Amino acid sequence: MKRLLKTTLLCAALAAGTVLAAPAIAQDSVSLPNLSYRTGPFASTGIPLMNGQRDYMMMLNERDGGVNGVTLGYEECETGYNTEKGVECYEKTKATGIVTQPWSTGITLQVLPKSNVDKIPILAPGYGFSAMQDGKTFQWAFNPPASYWDGANMVLQAISGGDLASLSGKKIALLHLDHPYGKEPIPLFEQAAEKHGFTLLPIPVGLKEMQNQSAQWLQIRRERPDFVLMWGWGAMNAGAITEAVKTKYPMNQFVGIWWSGHDGDMKVSGEAAKGYRAISWSLPNSQAPAMQDIKKHIVDTGKSMIDQAGGEFDWVFYQRGVLISAMLAEGVKVAQEHFDTKVVNAEQLRWGLENLKFDEARIAELGLEGMIPPFSTSCADHTGHSGAWMIEWDGTKFNKVSELLTADRAAIDPLVETAAKDYAAANAPWPVSEECKM
Amino acid sequence: MLYRTAGQFKTSYEADHALFPVKQDAWLLGFILVLAFVVFPMTANEFAFKALLTPVLIYALAALGLNILTGYAGQLSLGTGAFMGVGAYACYKLLTIFPELNILIAIGLSGFFSAAVGVAFGLPSLRIKGFYLAIATLAAQFFLVWLFEKWAWLYNYNASGAIQVPTIEMFGVAVAGPNARAIVQYYFVLCVVALVTCFAINITRGRIGRIWKSVRDMDIAAELVGINLMKAKLSAFAVSSYIVGISGALFVFLWRGAAEPNLFDIPLSFRVLFIAIIGGLGSILGNYLGAILIVALPVIIGTLPATFGIPISSSMAEHLNTMIIGGLIIMFLIVEPHGLARFWEIIREKLIMWPFPH
Repeated sequence: MKRLLKTTLLCAALAAGTVLAAPAIAQDSVSLPNLSYRTGPFASTGIPLMNGQRDYMMMLNERDGGVNGVTLGYEECETGYNTEKGVECYEKTKATGIVTQPWSTGITLQVLPKSNVDKIPILAPGYGFSAMQDGKTFQWAFNPPASYWDGANMVLQAISGGDLASLSGKKIALLHLDHPYGKEPIPLFEQAAEKHGFTLLPIPVGLKEMQNQSAQWLQIRRERPDFVLMWGWGAMNAGAITEAVKTKYPMNQFVGIWWSGHDGDMKVSGEAAKGYRAISWSLPNSQAPAMQDIKKHIVDTGKSMIDQAGGEFDWVFYQRGVLISAMLAEGVKVAQEHFDTKVVNAEQLRWGLENLKFDEARIAELGLEGMIPPFSTSCADHTGHSGAWMIEWDGTKFNKVSELLTADRAAIDPLVETAAKDYAAANAPWPVSEECKM
Repeated sequence: MLYRTAGQFKTSYEADHALFPVKQDAWLLGFILVLAFVVFPMTANEFAFKALLTPVLIYALAALGLNILTGYAGQLSLGTGAFMGVGAYACYKLLTIFPELNILIAIGLSGFFSAAVGVAFGLPSLRIKGFYLAIATLAAQFFLVWLFEKWAWLYNYNASGAIQVPTIEMFGVAVAGPNARAIVQYYFVLCVVALVTCFAINITRGRIGRIWKSVRDMDIAAELVGINLMKAKLSAFAVSSYIVGISGALFVFLWRGAAEPNLFDIPLSFRVLFIAIIGGLGSILGNYLGAILIVALPVIIGTLPATFGIPISSSMAEHLNTMIIGGLIIMFLIVEPHGLARFWEIIREKLIMWPFPH
């Protein structure tokens, strides 16, 4: 009897499997995998971003039937921000996928050298190596619209009121995650500290200490820095804000990078964190036509996974996810038009990402007004350098509080060039494209 | 029937103590070796190499190293991940200082660095035992990972603080780095692992292995019969850390291609420890079975929804995966607390007697 039951169950399971495996409708589509993380210690920041990416792609499919009639196959592969799973996902998706969105500096590190061999573009908007800007060296990697070094330079401009020389004699603490991501801006800050005569105080936060930063904030209290800059991620952001509130560090001297400006993290402290600023290359604009279309086609029809009661739709991160997908979809479209084909391959998408033109007109056409500053990429410049705004937490949401800031290229480009050269030398033989004109 | 031992007579002590007292064991091993050396490479695709075969071998090797220390010599250790890191960083430094060095030699040499570190952190084992020793090795874990983060010389002052593997050739074939083919890396790892396993089988069956086992079972008795405890324990730490070190070098150079310090943090130690415990402490085979369960099975389960077209999101699949693997671990430990290797032993004994159990 027991065996019979087992056999029946097994048969039922197999039958269910075959029924569900009915072949997908043959329609032109491109596979755009995303190495997402909706689980693990960074899930709280990952989920709104992934939701934004997913919803924009689904909206295009619903509203326009994809891009020029080609369905956008948005597929997630769960990594949990774990580099080991990242490799697994990369290997799993590279056969069909025409892009890699690694979503972690650790995973970017692993897939970056392989991009030349496998010939699949890496899209890492606003993260990854700053040196990826150099399109001659990093032919397959893209980090539009701004790099961490851009961000660091713009933060310095914002806190100095535009004149970096006024920072002379000041003390600036850099509270950063002790991880490749958090260490990324240090070379630029060090260079600026030397040039403009301020003291840089890097304060690393280990992955295990993210939620308990009492030691770091004790150091901040003792050192009394004029500014605390934060390169935090996941649980670290909320931890830092809570500690800052506890130690009564003045919020108007506390500035974060774009990944540290997350509504979910700020909600924990609410009113008390009022005045905290972050630099951001994206702004939430729930009234923008594209956002309204997402609301109409995806959110209101119940196809979205967002937390509507929590107001996730208006969050900076959700709408930034939308923008990231917009860049990718635009890359597909540009490639389609240039190569006069419908289903683009990885190599053609690379060309597309290299020729993104997000000017005012195009941004308006896409229905993303006021959400992203204009930028354009080129063969030699894989970042585009859109510039960014300062956003400030008012207790319930982030508001734009500055005009568009742009990074000082003279301070960054020489560093990029050395870093790219060093990388190519350390990973020799590394192919460098000589076709691009700077 | 398949395992019938009738007709296999032992006429000497040597024959009775042979590695394979039953002929079928040798055939089975031969079959597995053919599978590993011929069948898998011919059938596997790149995903299978990168996500299943190579990591299983590397994790099994790390667990083998730990098993020599914990399973054979009875010294608990929670520092495996850090010792793997020592091997990886040593190999990185050797290959960047001497770029023309053969990678096989570099990996072999890097094991000595982790062996030295292992012996240093094994010194407390002369005074403390059991859980207390585990805490001492935990100190090694924290200290070494901290060192990997802070000592910039180790990662050549790289701004990101991570190490990256350049393309490394051996006899004109790329074996490590982005240009290396997965099948080449698999064969490389397979050969190293096979070699070390062979060494481990011999050492654990011989004089040194018996010394370790006697220390494990009762160290005071072992001392009374004239065994030098210091030598025994430290040699176990040295051999174990050596194997763990080369597995760490393989881990980064032949599989991952890049590593940041926190990769070698305590979750890695636990993972290797789980493989060793679930596979079976005090056995060689168990490491492989454990690695298949802990490393390969989640990957296989993860691909099931896509192959059967079951429409669940990848994060849901991940949650289910964790639950299934957790359930399986508990099930196996209830069914056979001594690990999968013991489980196989029981099956084998039953097979030998089948179909006439007494």
